Amino acid sequence: MHRREALAKVSLLLGGALSGPTLMALGRLGNPATAATLRDKLNLSAQQKQIIAEVAEMIIPRTDTVGAKDVGVPAFIEMMINDCYYSPEHRSFMAGVTELEGLKFLQMSAAQKTDTLKQIEQKTKEQMKAYNAQTIKFGDNQDLEAMNAVKLGLPFWRLIKELTLLGYYTSEGGMKASFEYVPSPGKLELTKLKPGQKTIVY
Amino acid sequence: MNQSNINTQKANKYDAIVIGSGMTGGIAAKELTQKGLKVLMLERGREIKHPEDYETANKAPWEFEHRGKVPINSAEEYWSNNRFGTLANEEAGAFFTNDKQNPFIEKRPFDWIRAYHTGGKSMHWGRQTYRWGQHDFEANAKEGVGIDWPIRYQDIAPWYSYIEKFVGVSGQKEGWDIIPDSDFLPPMAMLPPEIHFKDAVKKKLNRKVTIGRIANLSQAQPIHTALGRASCQYRNKCARGCPHGGYYSSMAGAIPAAAQTKRLTIRHNAIAESLIYDEKKQKATGVRVIDQVDKTVTDYFAKIIFVTAGAMNSAALMLNSKSSRFPNGFGNDSEQLGRNVMDHHLGSGATATVEGFEDDYYFGSRPTGLYIPRFRNWEGDKRKDYLRGFGYQGGASRSSWNRGVGMDGFGAEFKKSLTEPGGWTLGFGGFGEILPDPNNRIYLDPQKKDQWGIPMIVFDAAFSENDLAMRRDIMVAGAEMLEAAGFKNITTYNRETHMGLGIHEMGTARMGHDPKTSVLNKYNQVHACKNVFVTDGACMVSASCVNPSLTYMALTARAADYAVGELKKRNL
Repeated sequence: MHRREALAKVSLLLGGALSGPTLMALGRLGNPATAATLRDKLNLSAQQKQIIAEVAEMIIPRTDTVGAKDVGVPAFIEMMINDCYYSPEHRSFMAGVTELEGLKFLQMSAAQKTDTLKQIEQKTKEQMKAYNAQTIKFGDNQDLEAMNAVKLGLPFWRLIKELTLLGYYTSEGGMKASFEYVPSPGKLELTKLKPGQKTIVY
Repeated sequence: MNQSNINTQKANKYDAIVIGSGMTGGIAAKELTQKGLKVLMLERGREIKHPEDYETANKAPWEFEHRGKVPINSAEEYWSNNRFGTLANEEAGAFFTNDKQNPFIEKRPFDWIRAYHTGGKSMHWGRQTYRWGQHDFEANAKEGVGIDWPIRYQDIAPWYSYIEKFVGVSGQKEGWDIIPDSDFLPPMAMLPPEIHFKDAVKKKLNRKVTIGRIANLSQAQPIHTALGRASCQYRNKCARGCPHGGYYSSMAGAIPAAAQTKRLTIRHNAIAESLIYDEKKQKATGVRVIDQVDKTVTDYFAKIIFVTAGAMNSAALMLNSKSSRFPNGFGNDSEQLGRNVMDHHLGSGATATVEGFEDDYYFGSRPTGLYIPRFRNWEGDKRKDYLRGFGYQGGASRSSWNRGVGMDGFGAEFKKSLTEPGGWTLGFGGFGEILPDPNNRIYLDPQKKDQWGIPMIVFDAAFSENDLAMRRDIMVAGAEMLEAAGFKNITTYNRETHMGLGIHEMGTARMGHDPKTSVLNKYNQVHACKNVFVTDGACMVSASCVNPSLTYMALTARAADYAVGELKKRNL
């Protein structure tokens, strides 16, 4: 059993774990010797950076609490793609960015922008099916197919959404504004939810 | 090796040498020093001081640059740690061993996860703590698998109790033979969906569920506070090291206890290269050590030696200790040294969503969950497709913001909805017993050496058909219980993992009655060299399906007691 195949199955079978596909993307190194050829670095224009920032802010906008831009999510996304993802995700991420660039996303009205992202979200469901299907083929012990399938990265929307949520809800500003942060609870108690009670994070 | 460079001064003499500072090395050092011996503890890795060196212990989530994800650079350095998970993340990655710098050879894939520093893997162990039952010691003989254990439950029971009091084990008394009760601290609370689950599977399937028995201090006792340990703070960040000593580790427990006697010397960066054997005396006289930093070689001498370097390294050390008496490795007359590698297989299980319980919540992050003890091949529940069985570990929780990743939506409402607790899920994974098989083994590569000139370890082990059949059943039986509880969206999984991922390596220098088929006797003494004791996972004759550290520690305390008795009788 090739390590790559084993890794691919991991994500498929994680059963309900939300970041399963991302775990797989992160774990795609398998053999360190082949991993080097899968390394990549984003090379974003000022406009592309603006698009990323705009999409992140639309996922988590500033409301009565801070938004994605306020807590540095755009830079976080770029850093994470560079540090934690291999070239298939670099390609799929850039495909999403350039698609929005081609649609002149930044020039759209607020309503058009929302519609565009909704369409991308629906399209991503199909892309996720294809993405998950390739993980099944990994298990078929066909290395060539597996190698080709590697070319398909986690879809753009999935990447930017997960990284926006991660970057925002684990930032100091985002976490403190959104949740009850209790670093040292000191006890374990069963409680009842009060109306509007926030999630407790530790 | 240039003999003239070797430091062999008389000052290097002790009563006992303990090789390794982890789960069993700690207990060996504590017991031997408390019984009056002057002990040298050798630790191959760097020093970690409890608690000041737990550098990430009090960090907030936003202080970790990659927020729990593993950067490619770390993943490649820590390739074995990271193959199936995220062990090399920024929270606890510093307490795992860099695989690139400490390579090993895989004839068949093996996840060898190591912790080369003070306390070893006791730093970030799972802390789940269960006694073996009588059936575990009898199974091999009854089923004709491997060889018989040379001990039975009554031999180890008082030592279980002794270790449990020292370590501190939280759990619920149940009176079950399958996992005999420990001397417990108060149990941690079960959550309402878990209580519902427990009642449903009892009623519909006659299976047992209890709160996970865990080596966290639910209520610190004087024996713990005397060492500076305090009760668990329910932060559930144990793997980073606990500033309060709320969970048991060698650094928080055994090493301070040994140090209090003023008879303990710890030498860090000290890689045990070989055991020194005196052909005339027919005894081991010491340990040859290579400094991992400056590579100087030093011989240390003692009357007795405890080999507690972790199952794989203990066996490798013995295989590398050759003499005219032991041409194939120390105490290896049986040719069993390095063989019968076992672990617990994990990575298969089931999860579901739970409807209802919308008002129920909890304050504090519980460091344990549910435990479902083995029910297969137990009492009336016989399987035709595999021997032995598995336990499940898991639990219920309410989902957090990360449910948003898989949800539709974005924008202000979406953002607000993710600030409130989501629905409940309940799930668990199996821990399965692996049978001893002499063809599952490690050996030393005849040519390749590491940077210290020590032969590299080759892993040649894999799951058997028994394991694979059990893993399939773990999914089926898990789904069955979730269904019995009326839960929805049941998902099963069975990850393609390797042996080693359980991080419960054992079996490479097994105990036994017969020196022809085993390496150690019933007191963990090398059959052919009575002043050497091996008390880590290497000594195990079978694996049970429960987490092993308690059993290792109990066997270590028992062996130390015997060793000191024999020393006093001048038998060693």
